[in-house]
Amino acid sequence: MNKSDAPGTSPNASGLPAIPEGDDIFLRAENIGVKFEVSGNVREQGLSEHDPRLIWNRRHQLRGVKALSDISFDLKKGDRLAIIGRNGSGKTTLLQTLAGIISPSEGRLISRGNITSLININIGIQAEATGHRNITLRGLAAGYSRKEIEEKRQGIAEFSELGDFLNMPMDSYSAGMRMRLTFAIATAFSPEILILDEWLSAGDVAFKKRATDRMQEFVSQAGILILASHSHKLIMDNCATGIWLDGGRIRAAGPVADVLKAYEESMT
Amino acid sequence: MTRPVRISTTDRFNPMIVLTDLVDGAKRVHLWLAFASDEIQNRYRRSKLGLAWIVLSYLIFVATISIFFGTFSDLDHNRFTIYVAINFAIFTFLLGNITDGCAVFRVARTWISSVPLPHSTHIYKSIARSLFVFTINMIVAMTIFFLYGYKLELVAWEAIPAFLLLLVDAVFVQMILGYITARFRDIEHLIQSITRILFFTTPVLWVRDEHVSRGMRSTVSELNPMTHALEIFSAPILGRHADPHSWMFILYMSVALFVIALVVGGYSHRRLPYWL
Repeated sequence: MNKSDAPGTSPNASGLPAIPEGDDIFLRAENIGVKFEVSGNVREQGLSEHDPRLIWNRRHQLRGVKALSDISFDLKKGDRLAIIGRNGSGKTTLLQTLAGIISPSEGRLISRGNITSLININIGIQAEATGHRNITLRGLAAGYSRKEIEEKRQGIAEFSELGDFLNMPMDSYSAGMRMRLTFAIATAFSPEILILDEWLSAGDVAFKKRATDRMQEFVSQAGILILASHSHKLIMDNCATGIWLDGGRIRAAGPVADVLKAYEESMT
Repeated sequence: MTRPVRISTTDRFNPMIVLTDLVDGAKRVHLWLAFASDEIQNRYRRSKLGLAWIVLSYLIFVATISIFFGTFSDLDHNRFTIYVAINFAIFTFLLGNITDGCAVFRVARTWISSVPLPHSTHIYKSIARSLFVFTINMIVAMTIFFLYGYKLELVAWEAIPAFLLLLVDAVFVQMILGYITARFRDIEHLIQSITRILFFTTPVLWVRDEHVSRGMRSTVSELNPMTHALEIFSAPILGRHADPHSWMFILYMSVALFVIALVVGGYSHRRLPYWL
């Protein structure tokens, strides 16, 4: 399995394919690279082996980190992509790029459709405010009107199972409660492209089951799901294709079972 | 109906993105008003007097200054109190925008690194918050005017365009400082030490007309943009036309701030999430 097997990758990667016509949602990465600039005074300490992702200048000072290189794939409605890889392989950076939080330093990202991302459980909430207030804030931040938010409030409260805790400040919540609420909010507004980081695995078994049900319901409505996780079960339950990131590059791509098998074999 | 395609690509330098960001952010008015009101509530939560502290701290300052510094001025006591009341209100607002601007993106880092909102949302939120305090202070100032029997004259309307211009400048100032301090953390400390000096070099505690003779103090205050910002806002309220020279100074400064904001924003917009 090599990179040219990536799902939907155009055979002539040099020529840029046309932007799809019509109204269908899609998300396409074209040779995306992300470089973090470093301006500190980190010096090379005579290492014999270099991590190829670190960029040094002539005076052996660290100038940047190439977190992602040459990432290409093409997702259409109904696609469910798993991002697999070790810690530090660039999974979260890739998700942040896809979510539009950071912009790529190379290549292009083209998409149509609302993107909702849950990349870090602890961010994007106002900890001093109540759960109900955060439903409002997250809804407004995602671009919905107050009317739309009120219509969804009941459903969010039920899915999160937080009950009266929604009237308490969020800094009194446990990690699991926060996660339930943020997941409930993010999925309540029927997003078209949903991007989830591995934190979902922090939930208990009952919640994971309901989260999986909700994601499947969402994908059956022809959305796009992108999920990064270390959980074998979560990936197999939710994804059809997979990308294995290694050192910021795609090491393998294809049907999720094959990619996951290759990845797990490399670990042993 | 074909919905728009979003293309995100490398922008090494793109000043247009600043304008797009400012417009997109302005449209999210519900969001930044909600954020601003949350922040105001949080700041005074669990204090007994709550929002009354805004009124109190303003009154304490104006009273102290008018008692201690009134004797240094040729103005009579009533007139000096009115002078301090109006100048201190606008000075606090402008200075607050400079100090808030240094932290505007830093305090919003969790939102910037998790939700792709226009950066200007955070700037508008910050300005809305200081505008709320300014409004309260102005109401207190008007009450002081009333108690001292001072009536606004017709010329006072000229303060409105002056304030609107300063409000627009506040957006540019916060944007410029927000991006620069996100990249160079030392600038924030530099700005802090400069703002302390601004308090003494701006005619808040002293009257500009009484120090027109050439000297160190007059030269410094003439070069200080705050002097001119105060002049165009306060003079009409105090019953005379503002110095045209000050209007020109602020107009030129606004254009300069706009251009700097385009350049700084055009370079920094893409990089901000990396810097935080």
